[in-house]
Amino acid sequence: MTNTEKTEMPTFAEVAVKVRAGQRLTAEDGLALFETPDFLGLGALANEVRERRHGDRTYYNRNVRLETTNVCVANCRFCSFAKLETGMPGAVTMTVAQAIETLKAKTANTAPPTEVHVVNGLNPDLPFTYYEELLRALAEHMPTASRKCFTAVEIHYFARRYELTPRQVLERLQAAGLQSLPGGGAEIFHPEVRTRICDDKATAEEWLAVHREAHALGMFTNATMLYGHVETYAHRVDHLLRLRAQQDQSIAGGKARFLAFIPLAFHPDGNGMRQLPGTTGIDDLRTLAVSRLMLDNFDHIKAYWVSSTPKVAQIGLSFGADDVDGTIVSETIYTAASKKAPEGLLEEDLVRLIREAGRIPVERDTVYNVLKEHPRAALEGAFKVRDRRQGKHLQILGEAE
Amino acid sequence: MSVEKSLEKPRVRIAGVGYLNAAPLLFGLDRDPDVELFLGSPAEVTRRLAEGEADVALVPVAGAASIGDLAFLDLGIVARGPVRSVVVVAEKPLEEIEELALDASSRTSAILARIELSARRQGKPLRFKAMPPSEAIASVKGLTGALVIGDPAIDLAERFPFALDLGAAFRERTGLPFVFAAWAGRREAFTPELVERLREAARVGLVARDTLADRYAEARGEDPQRTRDYLHSSIHYAIGPAEKSGLVRFFDDAAKAGLLPETDLASSWIETGPRASGPEGTAPPSVDDLLERVMDGGRLSAAQALRIYREADLFALGIAADHVRKKKARAGSSDVVTYIVDRNVNYTNVCTTSCRFCAFYRPVGHEEGYVLSREVLGEKLQEVVDAGGVQILLQGGLNPELRIEWYEDLFRWIKATYGLGLHGLSPEEILHIAQLEELPVATVLTRLRAAGLDSVPGGGAEILVDRVRRVIAKAKCTSDEWLGVMRTAHHLGFRSSATMMYGTVDTAEERVLHLLKLRELQDETGGFTAFFCWDFQYEKGTRIHAGDHGTQLYLRTQALARLVLDNVDHVGSSWVTQGPGVGQLALRFGADDWGSVMFEENVVSSAGTTFRMNAEMIERQVHAAGFRVARRNVRYDHLTEPA
Repeated sequence: MTNTEKTEMPTFAEVAVKVRAGQRLTAEDGLALFETPDFLGLGALANEVRERRHGDRTYYNRNVRLETTNVCVANCRFCSFAKLETGMPGAVTMTVAQAIETLKAKTANTAPPTEVHVVNGLNPDLPFTYYEELLRALAEHMPTASRKCFTAVEIHYFARRYELTPRQVLERLQAAGLQSLPGGGAEIFHPEVRTRICDDKATAEEWLAVHREAHALGMFTNATMLYGHVETYAHRVDHLLRLRAQQDQSIAGGKARFLAFIPLAFHPDGNGMRQLPGTTGIDDLRTLAVSRLMLDNFDHIKAYWVSSTPKVAQIGLSFGADDVDGTIVSETIYTAASKKAPEGLLEEDLVRLIREAGRIPVERDTVYNVLKEHPRAALEGAFKVRDRRQGKHLQILGEAE
Repeated sequence: MSVEKSLEKPRVRIAGVGYLNAAPLLFGLDRDPDVELFLGSPAEVTRRLAEGEADVALVPVAGAASIGDLAFLDLGIVARGPVRSVVVVAEKPLEEIEELALDASSRTSAILARIELSARRQGKPLRFKAMPPSEAIASVKGLTGALVIGDPAIDLAERFPFALDLGAAFRERTGLPFVFAAWAGRREAFTPELVERLREAARVGLVARDTLADRYAEARGEDPQRTRDYLHSSIHYAIGPAEKSGLVRFFDDAAKAGLLPETDLASSWIETGPRASGPEGTAPPSVDDLLERVMDGGRLSAAQALRIYREADLFALGIAADHVRKKKARAGSSDVVTYIVDRNVNYTNVCTTSCRFCAFYRPVGHEEGYVLSREVLGEKLQEVVDAGGVQILLQGGLNPELRIEWYEDLFRWIKATYGLGLHGLSPEEILHIAQLEELPVATVLTRLRAAGLDSVPGGGAEILVDRVRRVIAKAKCTSDEWLGVMRTAHHLGFRSSATMMYGTVDTAEERVLHLLKLRELQDETGGFTAFFCWDFQYEKGTRIHAGDHGTQLYLRTQALARLVLDNVDHVGSSWVTQGPGVGQLALRFGADDWGSVMFEENVVSSAGTTFRMNAEMIERQVHAAGFRVARRNVRYDHLTEPA
């Protein structure tokens, strides 16, 4: 960066004034936020915006993850999960019946989830009807769960593989029961990065086009950003601005839009970029905060606990995030990239995590209808001071006192 | 409990100092069926009031200021000139002495001594050494003087060539009377009935002074006339406008010296009868005001700390702690975070305490019990040496089969073979050895030091409030015992760390009291190098549910500790329990140390917490948080150039 550019960079205080006045931030503002040494000031500002929008309300859902195939033609250097060919050791492709069985086994001991989230590899060996059948089977066997399936990268691949337009793909899948799209596959949009980490899948324009079409068809979607590998802060800001611009268009279209933005921290274990160190807690929180401030037309910023660890996600609820995703019930993509990533949390764990952060847990469905608002009065952690004479908080296991 | 008993009106719990000069104010309360009276040392009386075990107390004013937010009644122990029972004595002029032995039982007198001596010595430095009263008198020699308080001090001045009566000294310097102690308690505790009861006790007690004096003199074979004179002329009991001004002056002087929190007394007096006209009391400071004050170097009372802990915005609290961290840093190092290359070795898991929060220990005779052999230890120590390590942290269970000679042999062998620093044996273990060997703690520490012990870790502090300790670790030492071992260790020249494990049954108030107890001992000894805190790691194998937890609470607690412990140089992040992400974030909430590379830490990892990190990873975390990094030793000297 040259000196002239540096002097043009706004100060943190100047950006804060714009945020408080409700003005839209520029790329330079975004860069200034990423680079400010006033890390706590940044967090406080993002928290201000978050509380202005949502107060203490913090969302979670009861969802279940399903990956039915890890066979994938894409060559993503950051991926520890897929890029296998059919027949290779470890390659798994479930039949529709197996997928339903797996799903039932995963949810046997829980209340029926409200969302099933399916993400797959780009498998060249399956017919398009596989996906339609899968959706119909999901609707039949798990009718209470909203179907949030296939990233824009998959939709784009289906179009190419089966010689359809993305719109045709989406229409056929919607007819088969698809209700919304997850936000995966966005990675980093900027071609300087995208060509280095995933040169053979949907480009930024193609990814955004799929979401534009989905929104036009009335399907709500999410958006992500995989950060902490070879990109710069400028690339992250560019990514956020492209999403913000698309969201403006979708909102103007009046049908559907992006609901949540989910920054995903790159994990280096077991993939083609394992020489990289991965992100740190402060970078994770800074990214959440800047996202909250830049994406003024996104309702929700999600601290995805699988990506950042539950503890960092918890403090993320003070750095701009208002959602922690869901119970997940076994996720395999991150768990393949990190020995530390947990596979699932119980609903009570999520509720506790949110309460300990001093927030109000709100169970939502996929499109943020409120299913259950937990009472604030039940707050048990952080700052509630108990009457020590009552001794009610003395919950001792094993022996009676 | 019988039905009758539970229907009884609860008795009001009153605590008072058990000195002669307090007797007139406490007159008859011991026979009052509605009163539960406790008499004890000033420190114990203060503790009872702080921990809610007394409703009101005749409490030394420094203790009251440290608790904070208390109401005062206009009755107390006052000197309008020479007090006779609070004196500094020495063989040399007080301007020349270099060390002062303190009777540690009264902080008010200790602070008054510091203020008055400092005013007379033009800031010439003076070392303070806390010890029991009898030892304080005995240690007066050459350039060491002593502060003696209470009954042992009366007329002591005549036995030494140089003496300063602190009541007289304060009067001479300020023209005001000095209030040593006053009735204090939470405002709601002072019901009109209680106020009347206390006034009545004083009315009768003042009349009965001669009886009290004679009884006291007779019991000790002393001259009754001198005792009568003391109660009549040296001590006064009414706190009027002049006394109130004296108290304001003392609190101001002490706050300026950083010895007591700023205390606003204007609205603290219990008014009986028609309320005095004039302006209402000033509004209490806002939490932001309190943060401003502490950033300017002011000291926090327990009540103020609790308000900050509960009410302050997370970021405002972090910014204040970050500011204090920078101010505490040595010159040119305000952006430096340190870490140490050492290894935690748990020499035995056999333990007799059965703490409910511990998944590591095995009882005596259990098949999984171990004592590390020299071979295993040797391998571990060689790895530390090979990794450029500078010390080991040696801690273990309370194993009754290991005698002091075992430790001495081990230490000599480690020193001779590996030359590593020995940071070992928490107060609990030292106390265990002392009890096992029937030796005084000081003797145990002296012998272990001779064998090679360099410093003492601050483990086992948990929460230094006995209510909590009794629930989570019944067999463990009391708070006073833990602090006592640390006091002795510091007096012998050991440095130590201080810790807090919260998140079991502890309340926010109890965590604050824990911090205050550490701060008070640190005022006495200056022996703590650093403070670390973490929450109880609930896992399989522990036998107690988690209490208050969460990342926000961890960061708030650590930041609060940075603000309260204004006399402790360093605060360390507990990344081992919180994970590297939160550990790194903690550096922005008051911590200036990353702890240790941690080859292993069996106690926490038994509970499932297994974060590990090598030096390179630590340095990357520290750099990514915007700091330079340096390796350190146990005394926090930099061993590498910060980079």
